[in-house]
Amino acid sequence: MTGRVGWRVPTRRLPTTLRVGGTILIGFFLVALTVPLWAPYSPVETVALPFKGASLDHPFGTDVLGRDVFTRVAYGTRIDLLLSLTSTVIAVLLGAVIGLASGYIGGWFDNVLMRAFEAIVSIPLLILALLVIAAAGPQYSGSLLLLTAVVVLVYTPRVARISRAVAVDLVTRDFLTVARSRGESTWSITRRELAPNASGVLLVEFGVRAGYAPILIGSLAFLGFGVRAPTPEWGLIISENRAALATTPVVVLAPAAVLAILIISLNLATDGLARYLGRTAVRTP
Amino acid sequence: MIVKLVVSRIALAVVTLVTVSALIFAFAEILPGDIAARVLGRETTEEQRQLFRERLNLDRPFYERYGTWLKGSLQGDLGRSFVNGQPTRVLVEERAKNTFSLAAYAFVLYVPATLLLATVAALFHNRVPDSVISILTLASLSLPEFVLGTALMFVFAVTLPLFPALSFTDPSMSFGERLQAMTLPAVTLAVVMAGYAVRMLRDSLIGVLDSDYVRMAMLKGVPRRRVVLRHALPNALGPALNVTALNLTYLIGGVVIVEQVFEYEGLGKLLVDAISNRDTPVVEAIVLLAAAVYILANLIADVFALLLNPRLRTG
Repeated sequence: MTGRVGWRVPTRRLPTTLRVGGTILIGFFLVALTVPLWAPYSPVETVALPFKGASLDHPFGTDVLGRDVFTRVAYGTRIDLLLSLTSTVIAVLLGAVIGLASGYIGGWFDNVLMRAFEAIVSIPLLILALLVIAAAGPQYSGSLLLLTAVVVLVYTPRVARISRAVAVDLVTRDFLTVARSRGESTWSITRRELAPNASGVLLVEFGVRAGYAPILIGSLAFLGFGVRAPTPEWGLIISENRAALATTPVVVLAPAAVLAILIISLNLATDGLARYLGRTAVRTP
Repeated sequence: MIVKLVVSRIALAVVTLVTVSALIFAFAEILPGDIAARVLGRETTEEQRQLFRERLNLDRPFYERYGTWLKGSLQGDLGRSFVNGQPTRVLVEERAKNTFSLAAYAFVLYVPATLLLATVAALFHNRVPDSVISILTLASLSLPEFVLGTALMFVFAVTLPLFPALSFTDPSMSFGERLQAMTLPAVTLAVVMAGYAVRMLRDSLIGVLDSDYVRMAMLKGVPRRRVVLRHALPNALGPALNVTALNLTYLIGGVVIVEQVFEYEGLGKLLVDAISNRDTPVVEAIVLLAAAVYILANLIADVFALLLNPRLRTG
């Protein structure tokens, strides 16, 4: 890490990966915002015979209940983007505040907190998510609120550990000593010194986590602990249609491709952002 | 000095493990409110639930129950399954064998595949083979395991019937038959792990191939194969070894999904079934085992790093 940075607006040319990834992401956002205006069918109603292959009327075919898979995938953009981004934003903000404060304050507070987070992180991500869902019990199964809470709970300690490492590095810097000796308050130091200097790491961390959130949410749906039918969520659509893989592969492969494109564009954008900020995007366990 | 450091790492690992056990216990038994109602369902009578609580000592205070559970776990007694009354340990042990053999198989596939693909990509840097490998690894990183597994099943079990679509194994099968049944899930895991590692190893290998000592070796006429295998590859392995440690911890979570895709009778499938059946003792045992494996893997990686790199010993 180099010297102190303040808040600044990008001036250099953005890397190609960021441009490409960002453009595709904007496309997904437009789909999510406008889908009711142009979607040809309802995402939950039977509109044709079950398991029809791709055609002009049904570009992604129809599923077991004769619902149009293309419409379901288009509506799924809303659910997947909303769930992934909301939960990742909350987790990154929460983790950043906890981590930066813990690293800045130090002492026994920091010690106890980091031991606890170390313990949480040593339960593999997906297994921790399953444990939280098991603890919530069947009455909350499939609720969007529970899924958001699960992702936040799983991500926050991981983000906090990274933010804490940044804060621990920053407190030894001269500019922070200067700020303290100027008599700045803790709040002012957090806002003017810690936050802008940690923002690069946190942005990259946000991208890396956001790129994994749709996989996590889809995997939970596949295991039967995610959103409930008939909600059009991509992971659920894919696992519902899996039985038709041999007969009408398009109903599985098309939603899978869309999910992959979202994740690739998130990863590309993160990679470009990291390169722009002079960092590397690495997913820690 | 080094002994002291290693001992302190081990002590920290034990502290973490105990904290995890408290956390797991809290999530599984304290948070959900009335376990009896959760396990037996709400339509049972109060007497039935009371009987259930007494039989399982659920009427005792939580710290006492945690103490009993922790002591039992240390002695290898993980309680009995709520569903079929079998000792949890027997259930878990049997499945753990299956899961560990699947993980080992995946690892055996992963290591040579990573070395080969990364070396080819680095040697053909920015040419067609490199681009193809780059696209494949990007795809493997961007697809959830259940999609990847399903796709492999479509190609290698449905279109080309080389392997069974579902990985049933039983003790009467020969080693070869078992291997065949386990191939598709193992390949799925290996592909996901290799995605990361190939990218890391390729980048680091390109850096090394561009270094002065490799150029020197080339200039003095060392055969190209020897330069790559003896000079470049060993020096480029460092970053890839880090990824491999990460991958080991990934495997613990990844098997849950892959076992479900191929209906392989391992720990992951047992965990999913136990959560659906609200079988708390089995859930606790598996999560504790997963965390213990993770902590142990990290401890070993830490100690190795200390032994290999004297600069780390000063902190």
